[in-house]
Amino acid sequence: MSTPIVNENVQQRTSITSESIRKRRVLKENLTGYAFISPFVIGFLAFTLIPIITSLYLSFTNYNLFSSPQWIGLQNYIKMFTQDPRYWKSLKVTLIYVFAGVPLRLAFALLVAMLLNTASKAVGLYRSLFYLPSLIGGSVAVSIMWRNIFGDQGIINILFHFLGIPVVRWFGNPTAALWMLIFLSVWQFGSSMLIFLAGLKGIPKSYYEAASMDGANRWRQFTKITLPMLSPVILFNTVMQTIGAFMTFVPAFIISKGTGGPMDGTLLYSLYLFTQGFSFFNMGYASAMAWIMLIIVGILTAIIFATSKFWVHYESEGGR
Amino acid sequence: MRMKSAKWWTYHILVGGFSVLMLYPVVWLLMSSFKESHTIFTTAKSLIPHPWIWTNFTDGWKGIGGNSFGLFIKNTAVLVILTMIGQIISCSLIAFGFARLEFKGKAIWFGIMMVTLMLPNEVVMVPQYIIFSKLGWLNSMKPLVVPAYFGHPFFIFLLVQFIRTIPRELDEAATIDGCNTFNIFYRIILPLIKPALATTAIFSFYWTWDNLLGPVLYLNSPAKYTVSMALNMFLSTETVSNWGAMFAMSIVTLIPVFVIFFIFQRYVVEGISTSGLKG
Amino acid sequence: MKKFIVSLLSLLLVFSLAACSGSNSTSSTASDSGKSKSASKNDPVTLRFAWWGNQPRHDYTLKIIDLYEKEHPNVKIEPEYASWDDYWKKLAPEAAANQLPDIVQMDLSYITQYSNNNQLADLKPFLGKEINTSDLSQDFIDGGKLGDKYYGLTGGVNALSYQYDPALLKKIGMDKVPDTWTLDDYKDMAKKASAAGLYLEDGPGTAPDVFFNYYLRAQGKRLYSKDGTTLGFKDDKLFEDFFKMYANLVKEKAIPTPDVKAQVKGLEDDPVVKQQSIGIIQWSNQLAPIQQAANRPLEIVGLPGPNSDKGLFIKPGMFWSITNNSKNKTEAAKFIDFLTNNVEANKLMLGERGVPGSPVVQKALEPLLTPVQKQLFNYVAWAGEHSSPFNGPDPIGAGEVITLLTNLADQMAYGDLKPEDAAKQFRQQADSILAKNKK
Repeated sequence: MSTPIVNENVQQRTSITSESIRKRRVLKENLTGYAFISPFVIGFLAFTLIPIITSLYLSFTNYNLFSSPQWIGLQNYIKMFTQDPRYWKSLKVTLIYVFAGVPLRLAFALLVAMLLNTASKAVGLYRSLFYLPSLIGGSVAVSIMWRNIFGDQGIINILFHFLGIPVVRWFGNPTAALWMLIFLSVWQFGSSMLIFLAGLKGIPKSYYEAASMDGANRWRQFTKITLPMLSPVILFNTVMQTIGAFMTFVPAFIISKGTGGPMDGTLLYSLYLFTQGFSFFNMGYASAMAWIMLIIVGILTAIIFATSKFWVHYESEGGR
Repeated sequence: MRMKSAKWWTYHILVGGFSVLMLYPVVWLLMSSFKESHTIFTTAKSLIPHPWIWTNFTDGWKGIGGNSFGLFIKNTAVLVILTMIGQIISCSLIAFGFARLEFKGKAIWFGIMMVTLMLPNEVVMVPQYIIFSKLGWLNSMKPLVVPAYFGHPFFIFLLVQFIRTIPRELDEAATIDGCNTFNIFYRIILPLIKPALATTAIFSFYWTWDNLLGPVLYLNSPAKYTVSMALNMFLSTETVSNWGAMFAMSIVTLIPVFVIFFIFQRYVVEGISTSGLKG
Repeated sequence: MKKFIVSLLSLLLVFSLAACSGSNSTSSTASDSGKSKSASKNDPVTLRFAWWGNQPRHDYTLKIIDLYEKEHPNVKIEPEYASWDDYWKKLAPEAAANQLPDIVQMDLSYITQYSNNNQLADLKPFLGKEINTSDLSQDFIDGGKLGDKYYGLTGGVNALSYQYDPALLKKIGMDKVPDTWTLDDYKDMAKKASAAGLYLEDGPGTAPDVFFNYYLRAQGKRLYSKDGTTLGFKDDKLFEDFFKMYANLVKEKAIPTPDVKAQVKGLEDDPVVKQQSIGIIQWSNQLAPIQQAANRPLEIVGLPGPNSDKGLFIKPGMFWSITNNSKNKTEAAKFIDFLTNNVEANKLMLGERGVPGSPVVQKALEPLLTPVQKQLFNYVAWAGEHSSPFNGPDPIGAGEVITLLTNLADQMAYGDLKPEDAAKQFRQQADSILAKNKK
């Protein structure tokens, strides 16, 4: 009978067609995806890829910016870890800066964002006031002003004196000097605060209302609604602040007048890198330093992302 | 007439007090711009200037080398507006791609994007400079503006996180209604991420406004200089710096930044009347 | 949907094509820059001229450019100026991309780097021709000599000096500092100053190599060896003696601790200006600014002996260099001649970049000088007669050595490190930094 064969043929053809339909759909999805991210791809290929590869290559050379680089293999990397005590100092200083500064900054940002998440009219004003320090940002004027405030006769010491706390020689003590920088960073929590505010506003009031009706107190509401709903933004802020902290340059440069002093107390990694590259012209070495920084930051970020599975909740993906 | 509750008072004293503390340095900066230049640091303790002078502003406005400060502000404004537009357009498109679409190699490209964020600028600076030099773009705004139209990882990541908070049911509803991908982007997602877009605008604006290294590298003619470079020129390592003019002009250039912030921050926090949609 | 993708992609394609074609239309330098063209007087020429400085310097230099352009209508000079930090940040990538301006203001601390790598042109072919050297002493011209080439023409000279406030000096029972004073006198004055509640000197700050180098020279030694591959002195005792003195002076409170200097934001904050310190050891051309900040008369004198003549030297404050990638070297040389020898130009400059090398120019400026500037010119003239030849620019790696020394000096000042140990550390690390210069 021909019918079963015809049926079979139809089935075969249908399965072939549905296979190709699927393939075409996947192709279309790929194309659409790439169309949307094409600006990044093109920009990357045109402006960033070659410099990145070049800098990797340079890290294996003794490039001094002017003459042709000569291959020296792993020498830069070996020197960094075995013969350069200033390198370790800069690493230590930067890690303290990041691990002390970032949590403090985020904590303030979240706290103040929540305080400002009311409907009060004054909130608009407060929001702008708190954001002001961030706005004047990394400018030279701010760093100069900060140096003045922490001077021996600066306002901070005057305040300490007033409160009976012993006066600190911020410029004479490497640890104190580093804390000067950390305070500057924390003072500028406004930008993180703004992002938290935007996130907070995205949490529907109805959730809180429902929870109150169910008898949940403020703390429970915070931990069960606010934190989870805010978690994508917390992730963003944590990653960005960490990366940003590692790259901090201008405040350290201005406050220490480019020296990283006193006694390398404020020698942030970026500052040391810049000094090596542009003051001493050891561009090959500086490139090696940059790649190590990339690896360190990359690992940290990867860890943060990996753990994010456990605490970040995306509403659009049905949550945890 | 309702009495303001104790809660109200505590709140305002706490928050208000804290903000005053936070702002002391800024106030100091402002007051210093009205002091005579050489007394700024010697009278640092007292906030009120004696005598109160306006000449820092008039002197500072004269600018450097015959280029008035107004010119520097104009240069910076052009740069900033072009950059801001580029960032908003490109980053929202790219973020949508990463957040909502599936395509081969997505994770790789996302990873690449994050990696570019982590590479210190100082090191890619020189090879990039050579590329721009070969393109003939030196001494122009092009190296500063053009890359903005190709996305910036910070904003892309920010927008991705925001888009991921929007439930997919909205997308699905739209598809059923006959929307194609671009329409979903344009009609559904874009309006819902207005707060994040406003945040992007604010950040992009003031980063570009403050940016020093870019202009230093790529702008040679002083007539093209931006505000950040001009401010630096008031300082001097060898002689007496013109602190008064520098602080005064810093304040003046702060005003546009503050204004932009004011305009956009409304969108940041009031953009979500869509809680109705979500609820 | 398809239409959208196609249009987006084609838009991007067009954009990138436009960007790429930009590279074909404008060509950067590249081709050989070794030959100097002899341009006929009427060929239009554009020169890029870069310098660092602050507002007043920018203003008068622009006037000088105007003057030159008036006298040479076919030449257009494009000024590029910035603050010190920004200037060097800018110059380095320009060098890497062969895009340096035609004429650059160059500094001692960078000239070795730039010349060693062929970024700067040898001025020898122009000396005596486009650049008139008849009024310049050989010493002056040799300031920019490295090896047997001339990589820059000195813009103005400087000498080390002790600048002090005579009114404060009275407080320790002296009217003026004699130019025959010795280190023993110095230590003596320090004790008296401290007893009177004053500092004698500001402290080395971030340049401890300056006074130390002078000290070594006075003993007939040098900080860096001639070929720049090691330190120039073998005896650690020199290091120990000098820094023991420094550490003691800090302990006696005759010199402030390093953190005080670190907090100085600008000249108005300087201990001398604030009447906390009697004087400061610094370069001669810094006399005018600090006097202006202090707003009272200051005096200037040479450094303490013995053998101060051996120790002192005339240092080029800055150089005018022509870059190798310039296509108009001859024209550039003419402009440098203008800056050096032209009286009208120097009347605008008034020695702000250092005392001019040509005595003809100096004489012409005399009636225009303020009393402070006269003080300065006189001092430099005196120093010229009481000094020994300059050791030449610092070798590559000097920057790192100076940072190292600053670190060690700070530690010794705080009493955290003994000079004997510091001496050993300094030698070991400095030698390893300088060893890279071995060919």
